[in-house]
Amino acid sequence: MPARSEGEFIDALRRGHPELIEGAEVLRAKRVSVVAKREGVLELARALRDEYGFTHPVSAGAVDYVKEGRMQMIYYLMNPDSRFMLMLRVDLPRDDPRMLSMTQIWEAMSFHEREAWEMFGIDFEGHPNLMHLLLPPDWRGGYPLRKDFKGEGISP
Amino acid sequence: MREAEVKPEVMRISWGPQHPMSGQTRILIDVDGEVVRRIIADIGFTHRGIEKILERRTFLQGIVPIERMVMVDTANVALAYVQAVEEALGIEVPERAKWIRSLICEMGRINSHLYAFGLQVECTGYFPAVFLWTTVDREVLLDLFEKLTGARWSYSFFIPGGVRADLPEGFRDEIREAVRYLRRRFQDYWDAMVENPLFEIRNRGVGVLSREDAIRLGATGPVLRGSGVDMDVRRDEPYAAYGDLDFKVVTEREGDCFARLKVRYHEIGQSLNMMEQIADEIPGGPVRMKVPLFPRSKRDVEALSRVETSRGELGVHIFTDGGLKPYRVRINSPTLRNMYVFERLAELDRVLVADLPVVLYSIDPWYLDCDR
Repeated sequence: MPARSEGEFIDALRRGHPELIEGAEVLRAKRVSVVAKREGVLELARALRDEYGFTHPVSAGAVDYVKEGRMQMIYYLMNPDSRFMLMLRVDLPRDDPRMLSMTQIWEAMSFHEREAWEMFGIDFEGHPNLMHLLLPPDWRGGYPLRKDFKGEGISP
Repeated sequence: MREAEVKPEVMRISWGPQHPMSGQTRILIDVDGEVVRRIIADIGFTHRGIEKILERRTFLQGIVPIERMVMVDTANVALAYVQAVEEALGIEVPERAKWIRSLICEMGRINSHLYAFGLQVECTGYFPAVFLWTTVDREVLLDLFEKLTGARWSYSFFIPGGVRADLPEGFRDEIREAVRYLRRRFQDYWDAMVENPLFEIRNRGVGVLSREDAIRLGATGPVLRGSGVDMDVRRDEPYAAYGDLDFKVVTEREGDCFARLKVRYHEIGQSLNMMEQIADEIPGGPVRMKVPLFPRSKRDVEALSRVETSRGELGVHIFTDGGLKPYRVRINSPTLRNMYVFERLAELDRVLVADLPVVLYSIDPWYLDCDR
């Protein structure tokens, strides 16, 4: 069921999987954003890949909203036929930042999830190889990209 | 025979980070005789935390650190950041500035592709002269950069609201002259390298990435287009002046190292055409809008800017909180994506130890971009 326009895709997703999404919107031409529920994110990801053609993983990263007590993990995905870019967002509570790994659906998210794990402390369940990517293997200095990270007192 | 059942011994070799050809990264390879069974890319040796640095700089100050991501292709990286800032702060850009931006980006792409081209040829071991040729020919572009921006590298020429200066007197003729010179040189490269049977033997059929795998593994840039996937941000989501420029997205079907090299080669030709078109058709008008030195952002705005750099799609995603600095900047780097493809290539295709440098440099890695 190839969606012809961004609006059609959002409507189809709202009809097809209302229980898995919290919100969906068209940002502008060729850009859509979907907020997923944490529990059903794997099911939604599988549907996005197999039914809606988002087979091309681009990247993933997180944002730390420290005042609201949440973090948001964002997966950037492309549909190679329609060239739509999708931002799949998952809100995680800051005191329990844990979600299922997307590597089962998009293998190439492996590097990006490793980065989010070491930089934000988000735990990806089911990731095959969760270890340091950019930081040294013996890093004990905390999570550098969190907003409450203080760089002092850490020896290189 | 019993001997065939003996499990061959697999040896793990660490290549880099101090090896002259590995670059600033360590690559672990599991070898079974001459065949590479597994590649593990141990990146992160040049991690400087640019995403965090940008959170502590004002919007204008951020241009300098982000340029340090890819020195050889500064313009495209800076453009991604500047466009994201403009979108987040609602700044307009005059038409002439957009054309100058495209001009510098295409010059940067040629500069970067020349470097990649020279290195990949160098990796085959036959032709050390070609790397010197490409290095010398880059001087033509670096001189143009110097004349236009005042610096040969990291020129910080793009600012929110336009570019820092207009084209100097007689610059359009100099572009045309440079294009003429480079066209002649590229014919030499084609004859000496691409049609050279020795070079072809070392590159054709090596490190093959199929179309499906390229999409599935998230390859980007010449790696993706070398596998026959017709994707280019410049055409799919036009920015700067690309909506008005005539160019063709170059693809090759084979997906091997030779195809990736040919994509870069033909992209240089497309960029030269674009340079000429810009010199002929650039519109008049102002080149920058008045923008305050310390612009304040609105609350909770986010802007994602996508740019096709020489290595592939670069995304800069800026989140604001109403302050003078960005709240968070996420950089989607192209080399990080292609490094994952490189890791997987040993399982997708038969890679020999002797071919490993060619395979690595065919993805055109830039570790500073990969590590950020």
